Amino acid sequence: MKYLSEYRDAAIARPLIERIKRTATRPWTLMEVCGGQTHTIVRQGLDELLEGAIEMIHGPGCPVCVTPLEQIDKALMLAARPDVIFTSFGDMLRVPGSDCDLQQVRARGGNVRVVYSPLDALEIARRHPEREVVFFAVGFETTAPANAMAVWRARELGVPNFSVLVSHVTVPPAISAIMQAPDNRVQAFLAAGHVCAVMGWTEYEPLAMRHRVPIVVTGFEPLDILEGMLMAVEQLETGRHTVENQYVRSVRREGTPAARTRVEEVFELVDRKWRGIGEIPMSGLRLRPAFAAFDAELKFGLGDIHVNESPECHAGEVLTGKLKPPRCPAFGTRCTPEHPLGALMVSAEGACAAYYHLAKYRESGEPAAAGAVS
Amino acid sequence: MCLGIPGRIVELRDDTGLAMGVVDFGGVRREVCLAYVQDEARLGDYVIVHVGFAISMVDEAEAHRTFEVLREMSQLDELGWLDEVAEAAGASLGSATTVTQTGSRIP
Repeated sequence: MKYLSEYRDAAIARPLIERIKRTATRPWTLMEVCGGQTHTIVRQGLDELLEGAIEMIHGPGCPVCVTPLEQIDKALMLAARPDVIFTSFGDMLRVPGSDCDLQQVRARGGNVRVVYSPLDALEIARRHPEREVVFFAVGFETTAPANAMAVWRARELGVPNFSVLVSHVTVPPAISAIMQAPDNRVQAFLAAGHVCAVMGWTEYEPLAMRHRVPIVVTGFEPLDILEGMLMAVEQLETGRHTVENQYVRSVRREGTPAARTRVEEVFELVDRKWRGIGEIPMSGLRLRPAFAAFDAELKFGLGDIHVNESPECHAGEVLTGKLKPPRCPAFGTRCTPEHPLGALMVSAEGACAAYYHLAKYRESGEPAAAGAVS
Repeated sequence: MCLGIPGRIVELRDDTGLAMGVVDFGGVRREVCLAYVQDEARLGDYVIVHVGFAISMVDEAEAHRTFEVLREMSQLDELGWLDEVAEAAGASLGSATTVTQTGSRIP
């Protein structure tokens, strides 16, 4: 209870946990989609407190973790070019490519800059018309509106030296893929609150129906997650499978329409490979032909590349819930946040890093270093 | 990475056709694009901000209501236990109300 007692809402969380335990007449297996939720669950020890009632499988909702190795390698190639200023969210700098990461490219003289917003990358391009400025456009639906706007503005303002390396993914096809896997154990989903803040939840209604699986749109505070779990368990116990919204304060059924519209204007659906998982049909976004001038892959003629993951990294099994990070032979020894074998150990939202920081926290009694998230 | 931080709009302006503004995050102020919420957002409103963009409004009334439902549920569940920790609960409930009223925050 150490972790929970330090949590400011412990007075409410504890009865909620008891209520979930009383409601569950059998153990249920839930998946939280979002890496931010994984971070909260592991950090607060919610999964351990609910042992016997709920098993949490940590989902693939960490964009840093699922950006395919091929796209990381393309980023590394672009960042090493002397004519390029490569801009990225800070999370991506330490993600291992085939033989190095962006931080190492920067140490060797590559012009790699961390930006807070994609509009900052566009501003760098406007200030440096003599250079090519590339932005690494990764993320889920939460981030897509920001990246779409940067491209839209580049066209509107006429900034020809700006382009984006796109590696966007979307949640609903991943939920379908998980439910269709022959060895799937997930019985209900906690959907990612901020993805739904943009997209709403209409896309999830046919998924819940088709796969007969409860989906609860859930926020990120420990109390949000516990309430989301309770709502999911209540559905499972009563044989219902609908979409419910726990995160009422920020999510509406239709999402944020202006953001959805801009994403649809700039991007179109495409098959996309997920690191550690493989290709999921129509799960990614790419620029529409009208914005081809801002596509870094076309501009620099990167083409298709094929590379292989480190055989020591078991990210795929972790992402599908078959392996808990501490059970990986490389965990905490040959794979640490300082020297990661795979992306799950890099981001604070990656399941491996979350477990690693928890283990360190328990050893030291000091707060775990949460790491930077953009 | 889908971290969204709630903040209060303290300035609204137009940057060559793009709705921008300044959002206050508990004392830290940042430039934010408000294009996606411009039809609704007014000075003083709370928004969820992600990578420099407001992606949704925060409904303060709903935030408060949800919290009260949770608190009610807890009180019904464990009145005795809450009494036992009344002092600590008083302190933590105060801060929790602030947090939930302004939306979600990853610890």
